[in-house]
Order: sequence, then structure tokens, then C-alpha cells
Amino acid sequence: MPTNQETHSPETEHSGSPGHKSPPSVTARLAPIFSNQQTILLLVLVGMVILFSVLNPVFFSTDVFGNILLDWGPIALIAVAETFVVISGGIDLSVGATLGFSGVMAAYAMQAMTGAGLPDALTILLGTLAASAVGIGVGLINSLLINRAHLVPFIATLATLGAAGGMSIVLTGGAPIGNGPPSAIALSVPWLGPLSWPGIVVVVIVVITGLYLHKSRFGRYTYAIGSNPFAALAAGINVKRQITKIYALSGFLSGLAGMFLYLRLASGAPTSGAGNELDAIAAVVIGGVALSGGVGRMSGTVLGSLILATVTSGLIIIGVEPNWKQVVVAILIAAAVSLQALRSKGRTS
Amino acid sequence: MTDSPLYEVRNISKSYGSVIALDNVSLQVHAGEVLGLVGDNGAGKSTLVKALSGAHLPDSGEILLDGVPRRWKSPHDALESGIETLYQDSSLASHLSVASNVFLGREVLMPGILGRLGFLAQKKMDVEAHADLERVGIAVPASNRPVAQLSGGQRQAVAIGRAVSWARKVIILDEPTNHLGARQAKEVLQVIRAAKAKGLGVIFISHTLPHILEVTDRVVVLRLGQVVQDAPTSSFTVDTLLGTITGLIVAPPPPGA
Repeated sequence: MPTNQETHSPETEHSGSPGHKSPPSVTARLAPIFSNQQTILLLVLVGMVILFSVLNPVFFSTDVFGNILLDWGPIALIAVAETFVVISGGIDLSVGATLGFSGVMAAYAMQAMTGAGLPDALTILLGTLAASAVGIGVGLINSLLINRAHLVPFIATLATLGAAGGMSIVLTGGAPIGNGPPSAIALSVPWLGPLSWPGIVVVVIVVITGLYLHKSRFGRYTYAIGSNPFAALAAGINVKRQITKIYALSGFLSGLAGMFLYLRLASGAPTSGAGNELDAIAAVVIGGVALSGGVGRMSGTVLGSLILATVTSGLIIIGVEPNWKQVVVAILIAAAVSLQALRSKGRTS
Repeated sequence: MTDSPLYEVRNISKSYGSVIALDNVSLQVHAGEVLGLVGDNGAGKSTLVKALSGAHLPDSGEILLDGVPRRWKSPHDALESGIETLYQDSSLASHLSVASNVFLGREVLMPGILGRLGFLAQKKMDVEAHADLERVGIAVPASNRPVAQLSGGQRQAVAIGRAVSWARKVIILDEPTNHLGARQAKEVLQVIRAAKAKGLGVIFISHTLPHILEVTDRVVVLRLGQVVQDAPTSSFTVDTLLGTITGLIVAPPPPGA
């Protein structure tokens, strides 16, 4: 099998890089999976864990890690959603509002089912389906606004952010919706080290969506549209259909995030998720996804969202005023983006 | 060359608002024929290319492939029917690798259940893309390199290689020698001759008139959205062709217009 095409390819006098003629080393092969940026992010994450643990040894415990992962779960889901959307050259501002809205709608559904005497397991399963369906619904509205009404994604999803967020408040009068399955909250107790059942589901989803982003045709089309929408269309890709799928996926994952939060709080709170779209965007940007589209990796998003969750908990545990989190996140975003700019500059020169 | 045209447009028009980009344009290309399409900037070449490739639907007129009227709703329809187009300004996704671009829209999936789930046979595509580009015979970059890392010439090679290796009936090349050095431009002309020899209908758009005269069988001159001349290449010199393009030489209306 010809595994190394470089060695027998005649290069023209115009090709400026003689370095790629040698067989790719192990690190070169691993580079697409674990690029330089990911290594830096991992070091930042490990450094943060060490720093927080030194400043307050309580930090380094399964309990704290369990809590961090519970904070991380819903943010990770909407950050994964945002990864697909941003790589396709769009943006989804509605992920946080969708999280809250689908949580509320699922809470109503589960309240009714519990009232009707359905078993908890079935109620939670149906509640999850309800949350997903509501999320997919918002995603489809986003795609209609983009594909049919020709709104730019920023405006389309700003509209659904307002609509979903507003409806959550109107429907509930601002109060959380409880009285669901009594055993729901027990699901969020970590049992596999720091992982709870919903946490395990999130990890599985991250792995599957990561494989889909990098190894499937769906992922390939996502990158192609973000890289050059005209090229994607000219290559025969149904760009509008792919965009519909991407926003529906984003809505679905936001709906699941709403259910995750419901299980943690045992209620659907109308204001939960408000502002979380900024966490999702921060996570993907820190993780190396370019807002201009076509660039990014799922591993970056995972590390970016873990860094966010770690900063949030860590600052509280070492006794820093929690509002400093915003400042730290801002610095991380600026550092991550300028790092990318420097690297891409180095590549082209 | 056969008598009935392989690919034909009859009386197509296209307006953008009050701007008439194409006004009652007709042209034909036969199997094994290279048709040169020339015209000044704004003559309507790019609009015509987009109508031929399915990227734009003309307002009126007919498009016929093998004598059968067709209506392209998207480039996908034209590609399915064997019509490949190389657009001006490279129609590549620069963040994707060479092989991913060659197979864009026509990905090979893994066998079995993984393929059914949409997973890509990337290794197979890498190997085949390399072979395809090598067969076309122009500067072949490594399959797994992102297109963004290639030189202008290499990018153009990838785009041409993709179009040539997939074309089954017609290949439309819009300014394929742009951004190329003299030697690479010669290679592109060689690729055009090879496509002709394979029996493809080739539509070659260029501003470089010596290239047009060197490789085409017939030339269609567009001016202000209209066909002003459609004649065998042998009837032109660079000067008369240039004169027709700029309107200094007023050609007799083409037969049948």
C-alpha cells in the first residue's frame, strides 16, 4: 500500500516547502488529532488544576471534580453544538435560550406524566425526548430563517434567542417548574469517579460527535461550507440541507443540555441557560475554532469547555470573588485568538 | 467530430435587475471539440459559465445535452450528468486537503455498517486522488496537505485535475491558466488536448488569445451579452480576434442568428 505519497510525487519549482518530502514522523501523523494548540490547552488545563490545588488542597478531590463535570456537562453540549455551527461559518446565539426553554417544556411534560403516575424511568426518558424535540424545533426555525428568509445566522439566532428566552419566562411566570419524577435528582450523583449518569452520556455524545465531525461525510460538508460555500455548492453539495441539519443538531444538543440541567436541579428553570451562549462561544474560541469558519477540532472544544468549568469552580474554591471569572475568561479568549493569529501568520510567511 | 452537438444552449438570456448579462445567446460544443469562449470583461462569460454549469438558472432559453432539453436546478444536476466546471478564482475549499477537495461532493464511504453511518474511506480517497492527479499529469501535491498550503499553480492543478478526472461529457474551464507560469500553462493546454482526445466536449475560456488560437477548434466571441462571432479558429489571428472582442471589427452576424 502506498502510504507515503510525498516521496514519489514530482514537485514543481513553485512548491516552497522542501520539508515534507521525508516520511511523516509519528508526531506528524498525530498532528491532525492533537495539534499544537491542543497541547497548549491541555497544559493550561493541567496548570490550572495544579495552581488551584496548591492554593487550596481541597480542590484536588473527586467531589470537586465531580462538581466541575456537572457544571461542564450542559456547557460542553452547547459548545459541541456551537463547534459544528461555527465551523460551518455560522453562529448560534440561541443555544442558551434553547437550553432553558427545552428544560422548561420537558419539566411541564414530566410534571404531567408524574402526576399521571408514570414510572420515573419512563418519565425521564420521555422528558429527554421532549427536550430534544423542542431543541430540534428551535434549530429548524433557525435554519428556516437562514435558508428561506435569508437572514444571516447572527440575526436569525438572535431572534430565536429572544423568542425562546421570552417564552420561557411568559409560560412559567419566572418560577421554576418542579414536581417531576422524584428520583430524577439522584441520577446526577457521581458514581464512576467524578462522573454521573448524565456526565457519562455527555462524554459519549462528545466522542460520537467528534468522530462525526472529523471522520464522516457530515463533518466534511460542515468544513467545506465554512471554508468556501461556493465551492461546496459547485461540488454538488446541497448546502441548504446541510445547514438545516447543522442547526437542527445544534438545537438537539441544546435540548439535551436543558434536560441535563433539569436532572441536576430537579426542575426546569426559565432563566437557566441565559447567557450560556457566550460560554459556548468562549469555549469553542478558546479551543481554536475560528469564527470565520472552516477551522477547528472537537478536542479543542472539549479542552476549552473544561478550562471554563475549571476556572469557574477553581476561583470559588480558592476564595476569589466569582465575578473575576469574566475577567479570566476574557484574558483566555484574547490569548487563544492571538495565539492562533500568530500561528497562522507563521504558516503563511 | 459528430454532427449533432453534445452540449448546446439555445437563445438563453439572463438579467440581473436592469442589467442584461446574456442576450439571446446560443452556442454548441461537439464531442471531441475544444470551443474557445472569449470576450472582454463584462461580456457575460462568467454568467454563461454559471448557466452552463447549473450554478444559475437562465431567465429564458434552452439547454440541451445529447439533444435532450435539460433544466439544471443546481450544479449538482449538471455534475450528475457528466458536466464538470472549473470556475475562475479556484472553486476549492482551502481548509480541506487535496484529496478531500478532489472527492468533495463525491466522497467514498467505508464498506459495511460504518459506511452506512456516513464514515469516510479517507485512505482510499487519498490514494485515488493522487493517482487521478498524476494521470492528469500536472504538478501533484501530497494528497493530505491542506489546499491553503499549496502554491497558486498547485491549487490550479488540483482544481483542473478534479474537473478532468470526473468529467464524463463536458468540461468547462474558466480561465484555467490564470496564476500559472509559462511552463504550467503549457501543461494545462496539454490537459485540454488530452480531454479532447478522450472525446470530451471542452469549453475553454481565456483572456490569453495565443492559448485560444493554439488549442481550440472553434471560437465564440461574446460582446455585451451577445454572441458576435462563432467561427473556426483557423479563420482568426490574434489581431482579428482582439478586434472582434473589442468591437473594432464588426463581424457579420453568425449564421442562424
